[in-house]
Amino acid sequence: MALRTEELMLNMGPQHPSTHGVLRLIVTLDGENIVDVQPDIGYLHSSVEKMMEHRTYVQNVALVDRGMDYLIALNNEEVYCLAVERLAGIQPPERARYIRVIFSELNRIASHLVWLGTWAIDLGATTVFLWCFREREMILDLFEKVTGGRLHHVYFRIGGVYADLPEGWVEECGAFLEYFLPRVDEYDQLLTENPIFLARTRGVGKISRADAIAMGASGPVGRASGVAYDVRKAAPYEVYDRMEFEVPVLEDGDCFARYLVRLAEMRQAVRIIRQALRALPGGEIRTRVPMTMKAPRGEAYVHTESPRGDLGIHIVSDGAETPYRVKIRAPSFNNLYALTEMMKGWKVADVIAILGSIDIVLSDVDR
Amino acid sequence: MTALATGLGLTFRVMLRRKVTVKYPLERLDVSNRFHGLLALPIDPETGNDRCIICFQCERICPDRCIHIEAEGKGKERVLTRFDIEMDKCCYCGYCVEVCPTEAIVFVPHYEASIYHRGRLLYDLDDLRRSAPKEPIARGIVGGGPR
Repeated sequence: MALRTEELMLNMGPQHPSTHGVLRLIVTLDGENIVDVQPDIGYLHSSVEKMMEHRTYVQNVALVDRGMDYLIALNNEEVYCLAVERLAGIQPPERARYIRVIFSELNRIASHLVWLGTWAIDLGATTVFLWCFREREMILDLFEKVTGGRLHHVYFRIGGVYADLPEGWVEECGAFLEYFLPRVDEYDQLLTENPIFLARTRGVGKISRADAIAMGASGPVGRASGVAYDVRKAAPYEVYDRMEFEVPVLEDGDCFARYLVRLAEMRQAVRIIRQALRALPGGEIRTRVPMTMKAPRGEAYVHTESPRGDLGIHIVSDGAETPYRVKIRAPSFNNLYALTEMMKGWKVADVIAILGSIDIVLSDVDR
Repeated sequence: MTALATGLGLTFRVMLRRKVTVKYPLERLDVSNRFHGLLALPIDPETGNDRCIICFQCERICPDRCIHIEAEGKGKERVLTRFDIEMDKCCYCGYCVEVCPTEAIVFVPHYEASIYHRGRLLYDLDDLRRSAPKEPIARGIVGGGPR
């Protein structure tokens, strides 16, 4: 009698420690091999786009903080403020634009540290997790001294930033960067030549350049597959056109390449912050914008390079105090669907490694 | 054998270093003086009353609509009869503090706001005035410089 085999459908999540939120993966298995993966989203839908229609332009800054990606609150505020500024034709002062660059780059480092720590702990490297969170705590302390918040800041305002940097903060930030760069080398030493780590990541979850483009993967996921696209270079916003930095691009497209790209991005972020701190001009930090501002009729689309990729926001205004419609183009959403291409043919145990490597935040996927 | 000794040597060296973590309920971290903690209506020592001029700006700007103000009387006799903040809705954005023209509503650097009953998260006028007399939860917070 011939042995009959059949495909097995396995539900992973929504409650699973390694999905970094509430994501349900419908995995079709042939023995231990993955035939197909379908992500099922919608468990963390916060309806932020709809909520923004009922709040004024000024109030919405508090909303994009937590309604979208909660790990990169300042990058969300930045893209929202830039969109409203383009819509209403407001020009923020020079100093505010430098401060915004410093803070969004610090937030990029903080976000990558959370990613590196949690991904490493998924793969069984506990030390990296503790070390990453130790350094992240310092960044959060730096944030707290300026913004008053640790995760949700409501610091950027339409037309500038809320408060100036306190006395001595620039030196403190510089001292942190001095401390931080050798720490990146430490993570590098812990992981990059670790045979267990290499076995779990090198060559695993490959996605070709063409597929990455077809699935709309951006940010580190795209750049690890050879898509040399960074909004900071392609369409510079704020003062990125005056900054000197490199965009790390690798061709391999596997988990290991995505790790190397993010590690290199942390080093580049340090480089950008150093330049911005050095060039930080004096003067005003905020253009006067009334708290009950009305945007003129029209629409605006702005996209920025968030730590996860190309983050865009499209605002339509009908001339009222509240936006008529807001659409957020979230990088996590597109990167999540690149997952279906990456996982085919790999084993069950690799699901965690591949899912972790694309760095999704579920509240960004659902919005 | 040498590997074991090197490893343990490192462990001992790290053990004698300054600790990164804090034994939380026993030791507490200071927060910066810009910290967004609980909201309060501080009492002005000159008048013995709070500084609220009942302009409703904070009520209007609040993104979560968690501030409720009512007042009675006209002109100079106008007094606050209700100033409720639903701290369970509050998102600690700080817009109310920003728009207040008289600095009547302020942040207190107090971060232990969790409570066993939801009803107690509704802070009324008395609660808000009481939370202003500084009950520092850590060293050198209130009025202290940067840590």
